Amino acid sequence: MKINTWFGVLETNTAGEILESRLLPKNIREIALNSLSLRDSRLNLPPEGFDLKAAALKSGFVESPAEYYSILHEVALEAAKLQVSGALTPDQRIIQAVEALDDINETSNALSERLSEWYGGYFPEIGLSGEDLALFIIKYGSRENVGPEDPLYSKASTSMGAKLEPADEALLKGFAENVRGLYERRRQLEAYIENSMELVAPNLKLIAGPMLGARLISLAGSLEKLAEFPSSTIQVIGANKALFKHLRARAPSPKHGIIYNHPLINTAPWWVRGKIARAVASKISLAARMDFYSRGIDPSIAEKLEAKVSQIRALNPTPSLKRQEIEAKPKKRRRR
Amino acid sequence: MIKVKKLSDGIFEVIKDKKQLATKNLDPGRIVYGEKLIPVEGIEYRTWDPRRSKLGAMILKKFNIPLKADSKVLYLGAASGTTVSHVSDIVSEGAVYAVEFAPRSMRDLIRLASRRKNIYPILADAGKPESYSHLVEPVDLIFQDVAQPNQAEIAARNAARFLKKDGNLMLSIKARSIDTAANPKEVFKAEVKKLKQAFEPKFEILNAKDLKPYHEDHLGILAKLK
Repeated sequence: MKINTWFGVLETNTAGEILESRLLPKNIREIALNSLSLRDSRLNLPPEGFDLKAAALKSGFVESPAEYYSILHEVALEAAKLQVSGALTPDQRIIQAVEALDDINETSNALSERLSEWYGGYFPEIGLSGEDLALFIIKYGSRENVGPEDPLYSKASTSMGAKLEPADEALLKGFAENVRGLYERRRQLEAYIENSMELVAPNLKLIAGPMLGARLISLAGSLEKLAEFPSSTIQVIGANKALFKHLRARAPSPKHGIIYNHPLINTAPWWVRGKIARAVASKISLAARMDFYSRGIDPSIAEKLEAKVSQIRALNPTPSLKRQEIEAKPKKRRRR
Repeated sequence: MIKVKKLSDGIFEVIKDKKQLATKNLDPGRIVYGEKLIPVEGIEYRTWDPRRSKLGAMILKKFNIPLKADSKVLYLGAASGTTVSHVSDIVSEGAVYAVEFAPRSMRDLIRLASRRKNIYPILADAGKPESYSHLVEPVDLIFQDVAQPNQAEIAARNAARFLKKDGNLMLSIKARSIDTAANPKEVFKAEVKKLKQAFEPKFEILNAKDLKPYHEDHLGILAKLK
């Protein structure tokens, strides 16, 4: 009987004695690569309870248990390193970019608000916020520097704000530079996500849009996982709290999770949103599967979705009566 | 005055102001996840936070821990290696085969394993023991913390391949990862029953306790082959 081990191939008889062995050379990288190739082959597995260490000693691969463990340690490390370096696939990069974008949004909002609050003491009438405010402060600093050509000149010259000292001005300008940098980084990330989505998941990008598509990949964990999800799951990804409330107690099931951001859903009247969410989710699922398994672009998915949505809207011009009744009498009984 | 009490092989209670679970640091001077180092008479102890480790909680729940300095352990669900590092301290002359499926966690585990010679990192799915059967020798203990709905089956399949006849299985069952909606007590009952009879090999349960207050809705189990 043939047995594949990490250190070579053994030929044993029915009693388990080793008749022949083809041992690998003691080259860590080579052994690690071989070990990775054995991962998926289900051929010639060692029998249950097979003592690899004893076999390695008997076949002469190593001379002592200490040597066995020392080589195995290096091989395991090398194999794991190879696997980890191969794990950063393009969809993983999109996920990092989406998460970075969320962090930047949060930070840039907080910092712009701080900037607006702070600079407001010196020029409360300015009426700018966000990136515009940052650009203004970088350009002028104190409102005294605003020239007559600027539309804000009259406001600046009659402002009730305090006088901006040079030390404070330098600080605020630096601060404004940082804020502007964050807005710039945000545009850069959005462009990056859009480009990557075109390469990694063109169908998904077409159906869901680049940002929603990227967010779905991020919430699912990978494009592969998104492609494996049933469309009912895709419909409610991002609505975890509502979903678990529905599963545990008698709360209504969520109609949509993150896909609510899809323009077809959030512009629809409320009584068809659930139906449209279901249609959108099913096409997103189809698109993700196409991107992951077959590649190539199929514009007909988008056309079918458009048709389906107009059909739903045409069939449901007004809210149905039954639904209104249900909403009038919320169920109070709880399970458990 | 610092006092040290031995709880079991390689596992100690260091009493300095308060009682703290600890192991002897195999990699002196280094910490792994923000724990404290307490030197006592030339030996460096590393404190072990039971709230961050199911095994740590099981020790404080008075489980009998079947580990010796030369034990071989198959650790399924190694994550970043918080608990693995303590197991590595305990089995200082043994081996820990640490199986983890997430590449992100494996990154931390590789860092740990490159400093500790008795940890063998394996990036694989614990539900597919065939994929690492060419690497792992028979072991004295399988410790499983995988939070998967089919964890009883995973335990049985790994035990069939790798557990010695007189070896033990320790696992923590997270009720929420089996069924988010059901009552945890019912889930525990069903899972224990599965371990006892649903798969081959069958297990005999030696101890089963809720891990409160260290972990919510977790059941710790010590078992051996029937």
